[in-house]
Amino acid sequence: MANKQTSLGDRFAEMTVVALTVIALIAGWFYKSSIENASLAFNAEGISAQAPKGWLQVEPTGNEILHTVDIKSTGFGATYVIQKIPTTQEASSSEVASLLSLSHAQNLLAFRILDQREVTVYGRDAYEISYVFIESNPDLTHDQLPSVVRGTDYIFMNSEHAIVATFQSDEKNYDLDMGRFLTFLKSLSF
Amino acid sequence: MNDAKSIHERKHIWRDEILLIVGLLFFVGVVYAVDNSLQPVFTPTTLLLTGVFLALVPAAIWLVFFYLQDQAEPEPKGFVLGVFGLGGLLAAAVGIPMVDNLFRASHWLRNDTMTTIIGGILVVGFTQEFLKYAAVRYSIYNSDEFDEPTDGVIYATAAGLGYATVLNIQFVVANGGVDLGTGIIRIAVVALAQAAFSGITGYFLGRAKFESEQIWWMPLGITLAATFNGVFNWLQGIVTRPTLSLSGATSNTWMGLALAAVVALGTTGMILALVRRNLKSIQAGK
Repeated sequence: MANKQTSLGDRFAEMTVVALTVIALIAGWFYKSSIENASLAFNAEGISAQAPKGWLQVEPTGNEILHTVDIKSTGFGATYVIQKIPTTQEASSSEVASLLSLSHAQNLLAFRILDQREVTVYGRDAYEISYVFIESNPDLTHDQLPSVVRGTDYIFMNSEHAIVATFQSDEKNYDLDMGRFLTFLKSLSF
Repeated sequence: MNDAKSIHERKHIWRDEILLIVGLLFFVGVVYAVDNSLQPVFTPTTLLLTGVFLALVPAAIWLVFFYLQDQAEPEPKGFVLGVFGLGGLLAAAVGIPMVDNLFRASHWLRNDTMTTIIGGILVVGFTQEFLKYAAVRYSIYNSDEFDEPTDGVIYATAAGLGYATVLNIQFVVANGGVDLGTGIIRIAVVALAQAAFSGITGYFLGRAKFESEQIWWMPLGITLAATFNGVFNWLQGIVTRPTLSLSGATSNTWMGLALAAVVALGTTGMILALVRRNLKSIQAGK
């Protein structure tokens, strides 16, 4: 049987299969994004946001009004926390940042600040602290080495309160998870 | 068709496929029995090496059967091994990083039934089936050795087993070795499934080269293979779901193996019927 490469299907198969695969993967990407970005409205104490759908809602403690964790993440689950911390009218965001850093240093293993600076987040002035720590949740069921976790706090001053939006994620997933957190941050209003 | 030589059906291809299924089931049974009766103790290194060795077994079984029976008009050994290697390389270099790191499939794919099926087809199915298709289409396909429609099934199966081997090695290495009993079942399931889906692509590839098929022919083949791939992964998730009771959880990994064997047998039978019908129509038209 001689090689025969004259059929229409054969000549165009290369292009059509590549095009179909690219279309399927783009559709898959949009589908993935729609699943990952699915959200639920959250509203408490005058603060509202679009919280991720399907994440574990942890009972808030202390000043927390939202604490949600992605249990499907590998390693340390991506975590969003919103805190409403009472302050005085004169308090500055850098002072709140110092208090937060002190609290993290007391509660988180091998806590290190990577960077801190004033930033503008979707038109609002904020103070950003980037840090790293070792997963210190004493969960005895984890049969793996503790994860290195990266975190970022955004501190927004709001009259007599500081609103702190925290994002923590496994160091390996941090950059990929940050996009989803920025969508959450954009939806935050107070 | 402009045939310079007689068209025939390489009957041993189907025997090879069935022997792969039977041979793998037998091998799984032997490993499982050895594991349960001897309960061997491994160091981390020997556990890892044993897992990697087991991951190579399905492809070895198929290749041995293939070469023992491919006597009448043998395919060049180097080409079959080369396509097998290419399938594996594409899995390691493109397929696994794409599905695991870019799409992070494990992160969202098992959300619900709809997501498992649609995501499984669009992301996992198309990625894997396209790469196995590419391993054949951009290597042996234009060679003179690809000289019969059934060669598509042979080379695509080789690419599929290469892909499966790397998937299994990656699974073993990522887990630092595997429990022999459940590990060998997982390895067999992946090999049977990947070989079966590749067979579909191979059938379409063979006909695309030697017959005047329409422009939608090859895309249809890839879509069918990707759909089988996605639906199989969903079904496998259902049948292997652990059964919970007051006495604890019962693993259903054997059900996954049974499903993979049924799918592989069914797919082989379907391709065999299609190839035979196709050859008859070619001979009738000569």
